[in-house]
Amino acid sequence: MLDDYLKANLASWDEAVGLHVDAQMYDVEGFKKGRCSLSDLEVSELGPFVHEGTTLLHLQCHFGLDTLSWARRGAVVTGVDFSGEGIRAARGLADEVGLSARAAFVQSDVLALPDALQGSFDVVFTSWGALIWLGDLERWAQVVAHFLRPGGTFYIAEFHPYAFLLADDSTPDSLRLGYPYFQYGRPQRFDEPGDYADPEALPESTVTFEWNHGFAEIIDPLLRNGLRLDFLHELPSTIVGLPFPFLEVCADGLQRVKGHHDDFPLSFSLKMTKEG
Amino acid sequence: MTDPIPAKARAANLRLWNAWTRIHEQSAYYDVEGFKAGATSLRPLELGELGPYVHEGTTLLHLQCHFGLDTLSWARRGADVVGLDLSDEAIELARKLADEVGLSRRAAFVCADLYDADAHLGGRLFDVVFVSWGAIEWLPDLERWAGIIARHLAPGGTFYLAEIHPFAGGLEEVPGEHDVRVGYRLLPDPGHPEVDAIVGSYADRGADTTGLVAYGWTHDLAEILGALTGAGLRVEHLHELPTSPAPFWDWMVQDEERWWWLPDGAGGRRRDLPLSFSIRATRPAA
Repeated sequence: MLDDYLKANLASWDEAVGLHVDAQMYDVEGFKKGRCSLSDLEVSELGPFVHEGTTLLHLQCHFGLDTLSWARRGAVVTGVDFSGEGIRAARGLADEVGLSARAAFVQSDVLALPDALQGSFDVVFTSWGALIWLGDLERWAQVVAHFLRPGGTFYIAEFHPYAFLLADDSTPDSLRLGYPYFQYGRPQRFDEPGDYADPEALPESTVTFEWNHGFAEIIDPLLRNGLRLDFLHELPSTIVGLPFPFLEVCADGLQRVKGHHDDFPLSFSLKMTKEG
Repeated sequence: MTDPIPAKARAANLRLWNAWTRIHEQSAYYDVEGFKAGATSLRPLELGELGPYVHEGTTLLHLQCHFGLDTLSWARRGADVVGLDLSDEAIELARKLADEVGLSRRAAFVCADLYDADAHLGGRLFDVVFVSWGAIEWLPDLERWAGIIARHLAPGGTFYLAEIHPFAGGLEEVPGEHDVRVGYRLLPDPGHPEVDAIVGSYADRGADTTGLVAYGWTHDLAEILGALTGAGLRVEHLHELPTSPAPFWDWMVQDEERWWWLPDGAGGRRRDLPLSFSIRATRPAA
């Protein structure tokens, strides 16, 4: 079954790469001219741990914009994604912006990465819409720990698990529940037209399988694999990317719940350090 | 340092907890007779997760202990316990119960506001600090709370918290339905306590509590975990459960292990939402 889920999701992401390299949300032209694709959150919270020569592994890197943005800040980066299209586009971009010498890209399912990549890293980074594609965070946490050097930093900035619970017809005055916090390993099947970065697009692969993960499901396996908790932050705003009608984009470019800008957590960040 | 609990809130909450103590002593929920006959008031969750760290002679500090049933249940398992609570009536009842069940020699009870704990406990260090079920909502300042925990934990000692999940605290009843939706009590707002009129008690929903109000503060997992790590504790586990130790609404359903569930509308139990969590943390040895 897992393989069937993976196949469907891979088909969707392979197709998404072609849409996203031209999508306004990703602004590839701006990136080529020097724009950093990272949000202020990651830059302020992880930035202090990324210096000239810092080795950084980016899990589920899509077509590498964030990976390469860390490289521009001096890191020696390795981006990993299960989409061959994503990896191909990432390598092309690295070439174009002259970062090939400090950016490698590997095609692999994140859970199988120890079979495809060797070495250990100062930083393991992942972000925004990554975890919902993983059915098994036990294995994921082992992979994170495996690739971190002792004393190394794990950092994730993600959509908040509460944000994925709300029913499609929720309004700011009535946030009804539509999806589970605990999924017990069973994915939600979605079959939706359009694309989060390009709602007008008509991709052929519309079926995806996704898993919401609660905080215990995310943090506990990392603790058990030898990572120490530095902080968890919960924020009432998020980068644009959640297609829910009860959200609005604010003047600072972040999404919040309409009329409740400070009241509902839409994203979180988590930093942990490997003991050693 | 001044108490972060405003005087008005402190007085209201003290009045409430004294009234609840009288109600709870008689309640089937607390089953004081069963406890006197030897039953533990602790749940399989606490026993399973903290039990392995509590042995004969383990010193245990129970903050916000109410009238001491859980404190004394740990004492029955061999711990030398100190319970602390703001309610004078609860502490009086705890001492009386300790006497009655023959645990006075290994159980002491302190009547004090949580934020005055240092003054009442001196520099004493404990092997275990224990906090559970409906405790932190009464506290505006978790940094100071965590500081108290860390200052009274021996190096290598264990902190354990079992609590209502912040998400459950943010749920509200859909008017006219036996169903829940999400409200906006999800993120901390330390300067603005929620002031709620009290109807009954979580342990006896029909009890007369006319005129009582509660001042409570919202906390999220980030704040709770951050307070603990900020005080120098190392978080060892975070667990989340779809069950609650007490009903939030009278249409919730109880199971044979005394857990309360949200019904799924089809005769079953909802397993999809977090209603409780537990944290174990340690004070590093060196």
